[in-house]
Amino acid sequence: MALIELTDLSYDYPNTCGLDQLNLQLNAGEFICLMGPNGSGKSTLLRILSGLEPATHGTYAFDGQVITTDYLADPQDRQRLHQQIGLVFQNTDVQLFNTSVVDEVAFGPRQLGLSEAEITQRVEDCLALTHSTDLRDRVPYQLSGGEKKRVALASVLALNPKVLLLDEPLNGLTIAAQQQMLTLLKTLQAAGKTIIMASHNFKQVQAVEPRFVIFNADHQIQADLTAQELAKQPEQQAELLTL
Amino acid sequence: MTVKQPNNLPDWLQQPNQLTSQPQRHNFLAHNQQHLTHLLARLAQPAPAVNPTRWQLSPSISLIRLGILVLLIALTNNTIWLWVLGLLLAGHLLVLAPSQLRRFTRSWLLSTGIALVVVLPSYWLVGPATVLLFVCKTGLILASTQYYRLTTTFQDLLSGLKALHCPNLFIMTLAVAITYLRMLGHYLLQTMMALDMRLVAPAKHPYQLIGTLFGNLFLKSHAYALELYAAMEARGFNGQYVNQPTTTNRWHDYLTLTPYLVLVVVFIFGGIYGIN
Amino acid sequence: MHIPDNYLSPATCGTLVLAVAPVWTVAVIKVKAQIKQKRETLPMLGIAASLAFLIMMFNLPIPGGTTAHAVGGTLLAVLIGPWAAVLALTVTLLLQALLFGDGGILAFGANAFNMAVIMPMVGYACYRLGEKLHHPKIGLFVGAYLGINVAALVAGIELGLQPLLAHTASGAPLYCPYGLNVTVPAMLAAHLLVAGWVEAIFTVLVYQFVHKVAPTNLYQAAAPQSRRPWLYLLGGLAILSPLGLLASNTAWGEWSPAELKQRLVAEHISQQAPQGMVQGLHFKALFQDYTIGNLPISVGYILSAVTAVLIFLLLMRGLQHDSQTTK
Ligand SMILES: Nc1ncnc2c1ncn2[C@@H]1O[C@H](COP(=O)(O)OP(=O)(O)OP(=O)(O)O)[C@@H](O)[C@H]1O
Ligand SMILES: [Mg+2]
Repeated sequence: MALIELTDLSYDYPNTCGLDQLNLQLNAGEFICLMGPNGSGKSTLLRILSGLEPATHGTYAFDGQVITTDYLADPQDRQRLHQQIGLVFQNTDVQLFNTSVVDEVAFGPRQLGLSEAEITQRVEDCLALTHSTDLRDRVPYQLSGGEKKRVALASVLALNPKVLLLDEPLNGLTIAAQQQMLTLLKTLQAAGKTIIMASHNFKQVQAVEPRFVIFNADHQIQADLTAQELAKQPEQQAELLTL
Repeated sequence: MTVKQPNNLPDWLQQPNQLTSQPQRHNFLAHNQQHLTHLLARLAQPAPAVNPTRWQLSPSISLIRLGILVLLIALTNNTIWLWVLGLLLAGHLLVLAPSQLRRFTRSWLLSTGIALVVVLPSYWLVGPATVLLFVCKTGLILASTQYYRLTTTFQDLLSGLKALHCPNLFIMTLAVAITYLRMLGHYLLQTMMALDMRLVAPAKHPYQLIGTLFGNLFLKSHAYALELYAAMEARGFNGQYVNQPTTTNRWHDYLTLTPYLVLVVVFIFGGIYGIN
Repeated sequence: MHIPDNYLSPATCGTLVLAVAPVWTVAVIKVKAQIKQKRETLPMLGIAASLAFLIMMFNLPIPGGTTAHAVGGTLLAVLIGPWAAVLALTVTLLLQALLFGDGGILAFGANAFNMAVIMPMVGYACYRLGEKLHHPKIGLFVGAYLGINVAALVAGIELGLQPLLAHTASGAPLYCPYGLNVTVPAMLAAHLLVAGWVEAIFTVLVYQFVHKVAPTNLYQAAAPQSRRPWLYLLGGLAILSPLGLLASNTAWGEWSPAELKQRLVAEHISQQAPQGMVQGLHFKALFQDYTIGNLPISVGYILSAVTAVLIFLLLMRGLQHDSQTTK
């Protein structure tokens, strides 16, 4: 059984359509890259997958559990879901709200009620993995864009989620930093995590051979291909390079 | 491409989490997210609820009309007067589409009901006549302000105030406030969502989090202000807030305003001759 | 704390607009000076107004399962400066009244007086005092608590005076039907016990965060050559007082503190007497002193309204001149 199953899932904003009739099955341990033009609904899908909002129509099932409005309205269920799914926002500013990087990363583990030693362990590990150990005593608000991205990932990672959702994590990073981040994500995938990320950097992402889910401008899924399948379709590749 | 392998993952990251769950009574985030989503949906509505194609009043006239109406209702304590004013208002309501009229009625009844609940205890202090008069007047005022809100966009309000010669600085501040209410509201919503994602257990110190939330929002406001000022300067801002002229029929304006002006005159002289 | 329409008599509303007008004038002058130092203060006025809107909208959890709101008057005063806070909060209140139906349109002056003037000013004064005593946080806490409570007290007084100020010949109140003995305790109880603490805790926590993360973004009070604003304020009041007298002579009595106090005492005693008759007689006796001349009361209202509009127009002219020179 797939970890994530979407059936005829649509999402409507007050004035516009966000997602239109998606059918998608994502398995545990996959590396998925969402691509598509601006405004095609990638961020919207990630928000629904993370359980922040219910879909307007259709169903979303996570690990066999259908995520309904009622399910999300129950604080306990909602928190259980959030323990399994982590989301790095497109705008990382909204995500960093503590007064120091250490506190930022420790925020999640503290909620879980871990011991101080465990929390320190997790914080140090996450900072090391994201190459941000030297930022530990800085104020997140004053970090640069790329530094914020790394700290945001560290802070989500500290919760050890089963599924990691990332909304354009490569934006604003140098090529070297992009490669570092992708390698880390690939390692996490190898350890059994499910990675779902939205990105525009086709060239960089290709290296980790993800499964590509491609949206069109009408908020629908246009193609769903593995990296090998995509390699056989030069015109599709050419299109992705323009995104 | 050379992909450098990072150090091995720590043990805790390789094992699945043990799910915990703790009972929770009140979730302030969910409640506020809902509230804010409603506000943002309302702010996103660019067109007025009513589309007056033939009978379009200039924004300043509708503002004046609202002022006169509310003042007259507040000043009088004569039931006949209230009746006449109510009729006038009901006439305006005819313009609304049926569904809008229903929506109007629903929220109007609700707000009037609240006013009734507030004054009801005074029944034992002052008797039924006063309570009734008070509720009638409050109801009428609420109806007129609600009608105004339903038929006026933010842009209309701005050009109305502009036509009434409000200072530019003030208009500009109001315009900035309306625009940034959306942007800051959106930012706050996103921050709450991010917090929600990582708040995997009941918050131990909700106030600490709220303080952080709004502290962040202030810093964002400050950043917006710096950006906006730079943008204003870059576009040659000179303290003048310009808006497009509205094309409306003057004749309609005066015709609509006439009954109100007549009422004002009658009210003033009626006072002298003891009519009200 | 937003007073809706029809709870205050139009005369009271007019008076309160008159009372706020000079404060607005001074605020504009002060903020202009502030803009010269820190250019972004100009757009910050509008943005802070929307910030205040969001603060007032946010439901804060309180023990017992219900929620309360903060107003943020004191907080804004500390963050962007007291005078800028006056203007920003005024804009917030106007938006709320016109577009969201929170607070009355006629009662706008009253709401502005309570929440946009009294609250930030009281709060900021306490904060400065605390700063001088090297305990700014305590000052801020006390300021936020006092600010909202003084504002609530004033709102209670405004509402409670209505049965005295406006009633029919038989003594039936025309606007807010509750006397001071109801409104003041009701307002104070709610704010002293709950809303005040919520406001104070909220204010200190937000301040603490900003202070820690970006202390330079806080408003820095100018060096102590700032006795000027008070001179402006006094001057403004002096210029306006003849107008105020004109308006008050025709419509209602002037509100000198002594008289107000006297009336408060009188009201209290009369309300404690059980029979409605005593109340009615007492009202009548008071009313005699307060209707001066033979002008019908409605003409008085119109006159005061015109006065308010004129003051507003004058205020505008001053502003227009300056907004052109900001080039
Ligand atoms: N808060 C909102 N209110 C209304 N419409 C929205 C909102 N957020 C997004 N939309 C609309 O929904 C559609 C999908 O938006 P979404 O943010 O999911 O796109 P995206 O694929 O992430 O784009 P990008 O690549 O630019 O990040 C767009 O048409 C957008 O205009
Ligand atoms: Mg996006």
